[in-house]
Amino acid sequence: MAMAIAAAAQESGQQQGIGAEGNQFLTFCLGDELYGINILRIKEIKGYTPITKIPNMPSHIKGVLNLRGTIVPIVELRMAIGMPTIDYTAFTVIILVVVRDRTLGLVVDSVSDVVTISQKDIEASPDFGTKVDASFLSGIGKSGDKLVALLNIDQLLTEGYMQEAAAATA
Amino acid sequence: MNGDYSKFLQTFFEEVTEHLSVLESGLLTLEQNPDDVEVLNRIFRSVHTIKGAGPMFGFTAMSRFAHKVETLLDPLRNRKFSATRQIIDLLLESADCLNMLVVAAKNGTVIDENKTVLDLEARLETCMTVTAPVPGQKPAPSQSAAAPAPPAPVTSARQTYQINWTPGEDLFQRGLNPLKLFEEIGRLGTVTSCVLATSHLPDLADLDPERCYLSWTCTLETDYPREDIESVFEFAASPGELTITALSSSSPVAQPTQEPDPEPAHSVIDEEDDPRLAAVFFGQKPDSLGAILVEQKSVTPAQLAKALDRQETIRAESKEHKAEASMRVDTEKVDKLVNLVGELAITQSMLSALGGHFEIKYLPILQERLLQLERNTQEIQERVMGIRMLPISTVFNRFPRLVRDLSAKVGKNIQLLISGEETELDRSVIESIGDPLTHLLRNACAHGLEPPEERVAAGKPEQGTIRLNAFHEGGKICITVEDDGRGLNRDKILAKAIEQRIITGNDTLSDDQVWALIFRPGFSTAEKLTDVSGRGVGMDVVKRNIEALNGIVSIKTVTGRRTIFTLKLPLTLAIIEGMTIRVGEDTYIVPLLSILESIQPKADMVQNFIGKGEVVNVRGAFYPIVRLYEVFDLQPEHKNPAEAILLILETEGERVVVMVDEIVGQQQVVIKSIEENFRKVDGVAGATILGDGTVGLILDVRGLVKLARQGQEIAV
Repeated sequence: MAMAIAAAAQESGQQQGIGAEGNQFLTFCLGDELYGINILRIKEIKGYTPITKIPNMPSHIKGVLNLRGTIVPIVELRMAIGMPTIDYTAFTVIILVVVRDRTLGLVVDSVSDVVTISQKDIEASPDFGTKVDASFLSGIGKSGDKLVALLNIDQLLTEGYMQEAAAATA
Repeated sequence: MNGDYSKFLQTFFEEVTEHLSVLESGLLTLEQNPDDVEVLNRIFRSVHTIKGAGPMFGFTAMSRFAHKVETLLDPLRNRKFSATRQIIDLLLESADCLNMLVVAAKNGTVIDENKTVLDLEARLETCMTVTAPVPGQKPAPSQSAAAPAPPAPVTSARQTYQINWTPGEDLFQRGLNPLKLFEEIGRLGTVTSCVLATSHLPDLADLDPERCYLSWTCTLETDYPREDIESVFEFAASPGELTITALSSSSPVAQPTQEPDPEPAHSVIDEEDDPRLAAVFFGQKPDSLGAILVEQKSVTPAQLAKALDRQETIRAESKEHKAEASMRVDTEKVDKLVNLVGELAITQSMLSALGGHFEIKYLPILQERLLQLERNTQEIQERVMGIRMLPISTVFNRFPRLVRDLSAKVGKNIQLLISGEETELDRSVIESIGDPLTHLLRNACAHGLEPPEERVAAGKPEQGTIRLNAFHEGGKICITVEDDGRGLNRDKILAKAIEQRIITGNDTLSDDQVWALIFRPGFSTAEKLTDVSGRGVGMDVVKRNIEALNGIVSIKTVTGRRTIFTLKLPLTLAIIEGMTIRVGEDTYIVPLLSILESIQPKADMVQNFIGKGEVVNVRGAFYPIVRLYEVFDLQPEHKNPAEAILLILETEGERVVVMVDEIVGQQQVVIKSIEENFRKVDGVAGATILGDGTVGLILDVRGLVKLARQGQEIAV
C-alpha cells in the first residue's frame, strides 16, 4: 500500500516536473503549516486586491480579478483544502498559478521562501496527520529542519474546483 | 522560419481567392457590358495568375482547368467573338468549379477525374469550336492560346532547344518546385538529356537546405515555339537565370536568344555527378539523397545524421505554423499606428521624467501631459479597432451573383443595386452577417417581388429592383434590403397566424407586431414550397443571427409598393454600450441594447399572481419581475420594488423586468472572456474592466431569465 502511494506520488511528482536532482518550490503559510508548490507552476505573486464576486459559485471560489486585462478566477485555498478561513492581513497574497493552460489565483496567508528540495528528501504523504486531505499532496518535503507539504495543484483544482463548481450549477 | 513553405501556401490561397472574386465580379460586369476590354483583360490576368501559380504548389488540376478557361477567354479578349449569355453562364460555372478545385486543394483532397470538372472542360472546348466568329471579322485560327495545351495545333516545326537554367539561391524560399517545371517541360516534347550541375554545392555541414545551389541543362525536342518554353519558367526564373538556345532545326534560321545573357551560360557539368543524384531531384527513384552521398563518400554518416536531424527540426517547426488566421491590412493604417505608438512612447517618457522629480508646482504640466496621454491612447484604440475593420463590400460582392442565379430560378427579371459597400465594420460582424443577408435577399427575390405579369398589371416596370445599402448611423451600422415588390400583406399574415394558433382572432395587433410575426420559426405565408424559400426557416434565422450580434431587425412596408428590412448592428463585437447598475455592493453591466426603459414603480403597480409570480403593470402590460439579488444571491439595499429601480429588458422577443438597487451610469465596455481562465457562468455573458480597475460582470439577460425560472421551480 505504502509502495503504491509512493509510486503514485512519484508519478504525479513527475507531472509537476520534479527531476531526480531536486526542484525548487515556493513555500507559503496557511496557519502555522508550510506548503509548497513547484516553482515552475507559479506565474507571479501579487498582493491582495479586492475581488469581484461571481454569483452562484461554491464558497471557495472568491471571484475574479483583473490581471492586466485578463480575467483570472481566484480560489480561497484555505476553503479549497478544508481549512477554516481567517481575516485577511497585510501579508495575505495571491499566488497566480497555471493549471492546464489556465491562469488562476490562490489566496494564501503569506508567502515564505523559495527552497530547493531534492527528490530523496521527498516522502510520500502520510494518509493521516495533516489537516488536509492527503490526496491533494504530492508528498512531504524536508527543507532544513522544516517540513513542507507539497501541493498537487492539478489534483486539487480538478477535484475541489472544477467538479464542485460544476456540481453547484447542475 | 523565413523559408516556410506553408506560409507561401497560405498567401497563395489568399491570392487565388481574391482572383476568383475578381473573376466572378468581372464576369457579371461583362454580362452588362460585353465589349469592355478592360474588364476582359482583368479577368484574363486573374485566370492566368491562377494557372501560372498553381503548378508551383502542385495543384495541376487547378492549373489545367484554369488553362481551359483561359483558352476560351483569349479569343474573347482578342475580340474574335463576343461574350454571349451562354458563354458568361459557362464561364461563371467554370469560376465555381475553379473555386471548388481551390477549396479541394486547400483541404488537401485530390480531385483529379472529377465529373464536373471533366464535363466543364469538355463544354469549354466545344464552346471554343462551336462559337461562331463575330461577323465582319476574318475567322482567325485560334492559335493564340498562350500556354501548352497538349492537343493544340501549332504550326512551327520540330526543333531542339538547349535550356540552361541557373536559378537564384532563393528558389525554394520563393516556394518553387523545380521538379514541377521540368514535368511541365516534359509535356512540351521529348527531353533527350537533362543534366544537373552540382558544382556549387557546399559541404554538407555548410549546406542550407532551403537554398538552391543547383543548375540544370536539358535538351528538349519540341513542336512548340520558344515562347511556350519561356512561359513555363515565367514565374520561376528572373532574367539572366535562363538561357534557351536553339540547337538544330528544320527551319533554316536559328532563333536568336531573346533574353540578355550577362553571364556565360552554366554549361559546366560536374563529371563526377552520379546520375542518381539527378534522379533523386526529379523524384524518379526512391533512393534517399543521403544514402547516395554516403556511398559516394561525399559525407560521413555522422554528418548525414546531423543534417537529417536538422531537417527534422525544421520540418517540425514549419508544421507548427499551420492554420493561422491571417488578415490583410492597409499599409497606411499600420504606418499611422506605428507613428501613434511612437508618440505614446514619447508621452510616456515625458511623464516619467516629470514623475522623477515631481513638485506641486508642476501640476499643470502633469495635467497637460496626462491629457495628451489620454488623447494618444484613445486614438490608438480607435486605430487598432480600425485594423479589424473591413469594407462591407467583402460580403456584398457575392450578392450580384446570387441575385442573378435566383432571378433565373424564380423566373423574374431582377436588378440588384448596391450602395455603401465601402462602409467599414468589424471582421467578426462581417463574417456573421453573410447568412442573414443571403436569407433576406432570397426572400426578396422569391416573395417580395411579384412575377413580371403581375408587376406589369400593377403598372410597375417589369424589372424588379432590390436595393442593398449600408451606412453608419449613430455609432451603429445600418444595412437595408429594399424591394419594390408587393409589400407585406397584413391580412394574409394575420390569417396564417390565427391558423397556426400563434394569436387569436380577438387580439388587436399593431402593424409592427404583425410584421414581427414573420420572424417566428416555421412561419411562412408562401402557398407552395420551392427550393428557394417557403419553409419558414429563413426569417427566423435572420432574426436569431442578428440578435446574436447584438443587433436588431425592423421592417417597414407599403402594401403594393415596397418592403424595407433594416438591420442595425454594432460596429464591433468587442465593445458594447452598457448600463452600469448596482445591487448592494456589487456592480453589474447590462447591455444597453436590451434595455427598453427603466422605471421607479409605485407600490400599486406590483402585483402577485398565483402561479405566475410577481409582475409589474406598466401602462397596462404585465411583465414578470426578476429580483437580481435573489437570482445571484446578493445583499441588496432595497427589497421593496417600490424603492428599487426596475429595468424593462427585452430578449428574443420576450420582455422581463429586472429589479436592481441603482443605475450608476452608462459607458462603453470592452468585453473580456471569463471562460478563457475559468468557465461559463450562468447569467453572465462576460466580464469587463471598470474604471477603477476592478472586474465588472456583464449580464446575460437570456441566461438570467432561465436562472430565475429554475429558481421559481425549485421554490414551488
